[in-house]
Amino acid sequence: MSDNSHLLPYARRADFKVARATELTGRDRRFYRFLEIVPGVAAWGTLIGIVWASIYASFFAAYFIIAFAIYWVLKTIFLSYHVRHNYKRLKHHMELDWGRLIERFKCDDFYHLVIFPYYQEPLEVLDDAMKGLSQAKYDPKKLIVVLAAEERAGEDSVNQAYEIERKYASQFGHFLVTVHPADVVGEIAGKGSNVHHALCEVRSKVIDPATIPYKQILTSIFDIDTVIYPDYFNCLMWHFMTAEQPFKSAFQPVPLFTNNLWEAPAISRVMAMSSTFWQMIMQERPDKAATFSSHSVSFQALYEIGYGQANVVSEDSRIYWNLMVANDGNFDVVSLSYPIAMDATTAPSTWGTIKNIYKQHRRWTYGVENWCYLIYHFTKNKNIPLKKRWSVALLQGEGYWSLVTNPIMLFILGWTPIFLGTREFHETVLSYELPIMVRNLLTVAMAGLVFSSILALSLTPPRPAGYSRFRYVVMALQWIMVPITMIVFSAIPGLDAQTRLMLGRYMGFWVTPKRLQN
Amino acid sequence: MPQEPQITGMSGRHRAVFFWGLVLVFLLVLPVMIFYTTGYRLSFEDDVTTVVTTGGVYVSTQSLAVDVYLDEDQVERPRLFRSAYYIQNIDAGLRRVVVQGEGVQTWVKLVPVDPRIVTEVAAFNVPTTPRLRPITQLQTSAGAAVLEGAQASTTIFGVGTSTEAYVIATTSVARTSYTVNPEYEFVQRLFGTSTAAVVNESVFAEFRQDQDRFRFVSPQERNATTSTSTPVVIERNDMRLQSRAEELYAVWQGSQDNIPYYFCITNTNASTTAARYGQHVAAAVYATSTATSSPIFMIDDRTCRTEIKLDRLRQDVYLFDFFPGSSDLVLLHLQDGLYVTEIDDRSWQNTQLLLPGVDFQTIIENEVIYIKQNDFYFEIIPEIET
Repeated sequence: MSDNSHLLPYARRADFKVARATELTGRDRRFYRFLEIVPGVAAWGTLIGIVWASIYASFFAAYFIIAFAIYWVLKTIFLSYHVRHNYKRLKHHMELDWGRLIERFKCDDFYHLVIFPYYQEPLEVLDDAMKGLSQAKYDPKKLIVVLAAEERAGEDSVNQAYEIERKYASQFGHFLVTVHPADVVGEIAGKGSNVHHALCEVRSKVIDPATIPYKQILTSIFDIDTVIYPDYFNCLMWHFMTAEQPFKSAFQPVPLFTNNLWEAPAISRVMAMSSTFWQMIMQERPDKAATFSSHSVSFQALYEIGYGQANVVSEDSRIYWNLMVANDGNFDVVSLSYPIAMDATTAPSTWGTIKNIYKQHRRWTYGVENWCYLIYHFTKNKNIPLKKRWSVALLQGEGYWSLVTNPIMLFILGWTPIFLGTREFHETVLSYELPIMVRNLLTVAMAGLVFSSILALSLTPPRPAGYSRFRYVVMALQWIMVPITMIVFSAIPGLDAQTRLMLGRYMGFWVTPKRLQN
Repeated sequence: MPQEPQITGMSGRHRAVFFWGLVLVFLLVLPVMIFYTTGYRLSFEDDVTTVVTTGGVYVSTQSLAVDVYLDEDQVERPRLFRSAYYIQNIDAGLRRVVVQGEGVQTWVKLVPVDPRIVTEVAAFNVPTTPRLRPITQLQTSAGAAVLEGAQASTTIFGVGTSTEAYVIATTSVARTSYTVNPEYEFVQRLFGTSTAAVVNESVFAEFRQDQDRFRFVSPQERNATTSTSTPVVIERNDMRLQSRAEELYAVWQGSQDNIPYYFCITNTNASTTAARYGQHVAAAVYATSTATSSPIFMIDDRTCRTEIKLDRLRQDVYLFDFFPGSSDLVLLHLQDGLYVTEIDDRSWQNTQLLLPGVDFQTIIENEVIYIKQNDFYFEIIPEIET
């Protein structure tokens, strides 16, 4: 029997780290299964409902579509406003000397634990990550670096970690290579289980022997393609020191998928920048956000919940929800508005890139499993304020629902009353005006793309040698693909993921191939 | 260097004000948009602001080279390569739609426009000068038709023009310098069959023979007597063209849901129907409402006929068929020429002369109109070059 005394009371529950209905029994199992079905039913119900309404209640469908198109225009304005504000903040934060800003704090005793889980990524990807770390404007002796390898990736992959260790270990305060064993019962092979193992290992092999207080360790869990900007740790430290409740906060940087942006095809660039913009929006709405991809959090907080879950796909967000639920709703996301550089998804061929982007977004949108987790625990943990439970449940639910349905409704189903409507409807002015109105509203909404295009160009790294200036033109024009990418890489993979969850065909962790070129 | 970041995150209040501001915009804009798309408009006539309900007219044309006028006002052309016009913001009432263009005959129709409803019309414009493609037995190596004999081309083409380059060959030219045109053989065979319209032979001939047999019977008895004549029937999709007595009719055979718009009128009384659609439509609707052979039915708030009489200009009919590529237009070979008429009889049926003349035969094969005139064969090209 393991000692759970260090865990927060709620984190001691047997079902605290539930991942799917099959892990529960009785009523809980039925309820969780019901929750797994709800998102898929809601999405399919909406899409089928619109088709049905177009045929049998054409006027209602037409009014709904007009309302939805107006909503979309206003939503575009709303989100663009947030991006614009965060862009200014991001640029400002990149210009600041964070090292000087943290001089007023007493933070010399703090350590940064940096965990890089990886699978079969090439050596140069690992090397670039370490290079970025070694160039950080922070005392390297205060860095505890963990390269978390996977046994199932093979001996060569593990050996890469030791090669990197030989090259960089001396530069940092501590350096540890962990090898996550393959086929551990109760785990999903993937980043979550690897990180979980690495956290256990580093505590027992580095932190405890060095008697470093857990409260003086900030843990950054980085995807292996993460290359930090030099002031990242200073910026993180400043935000930690000024946070309202630093040990009850997760710290979220802005992922810029720019490492290989010049090499990536247009479709990959659009998706990469779209993801960045979404994270920039969330930076301005931290009360509505969860952690995503690479992020940082106090080791103490992680220890109090027994680290993250080793049995889920969307572990980067789930760790935040674990923390939030275990802390009775009292856990924040603090926006750093400071970038980290990551890879845009690519593959050697365009078709391969399309497949990889699709699979990556399907994995991201499988984050809908977190909604089931949240609702389940919201019904169990009554210490979380009711208002918070409702607002988070509705907000997250709406997010997953709109992700799947909105692009399809907007660009495809918006026209169904015209094609499927009743004869009576077809004779009306409404029937003729509907496509004109929707087209005009979408055109207004598309103006947001011009804004996106300008912003994306300003976030693009300098043009490397060998690339024509004409590529800037392509980069500006690539945004016309957004209506397609929204459907192909957001709505459809989201629907795919929600349908799998609805049918109980649970997904595993698919590792996005990283390709970094020097 | 500042001691603190100067740009902070958006405050909760800032975000809330912005959010609720947009919600307010949504609530204000939505009803406006719904009213607008439903046909409501603000009117500022006579310095008085009122809300009026408007309708629309949807005009489809067969040519890109025509202009559309609504009550003398030219309608802005649609986007490139589109031949349909949606005219918005029209006050309710009778509106005159004119579709005209250079080199084509003018199509005119008076249509009733109702609030919140779009009235559909389909215009057609055949060339003012018939366009003929000669089909000759011989052609040059470049494919040009070879007109043999001493006839001048103007005589051959009559009032029409040739759409193709051709050469006039004299008898001294060796026929071996030309190639044989296989299409000629094909067309020649077509006119050798019985399906070709024979000059001066009416499609009502059989009916008239029947009538002669009952000459001494009273009109009532004559109608009651079963005629032995077989009406000519031509069908396309769900539309049927048929002769009955000495008239031609277009009869809808399909489902009520798919009946073409021109078979239906908005439910009103007889006098209003006459004013909106013409006396003939009112008479037809209210006469057929009691008939069992061509019933009327109601769809929503409209009354629909299933049969429309075609205007044959009080002439004898030698041939009738669907106009190539259409089930809404009919080709009529009448005594003084070949005509195109529309089935849509709201206000009137537009009928346009495709080829004048009294001495040619017509046949339609594979959506192509062929004529034989003075031993020459032609294809009629019913559109102008755009």
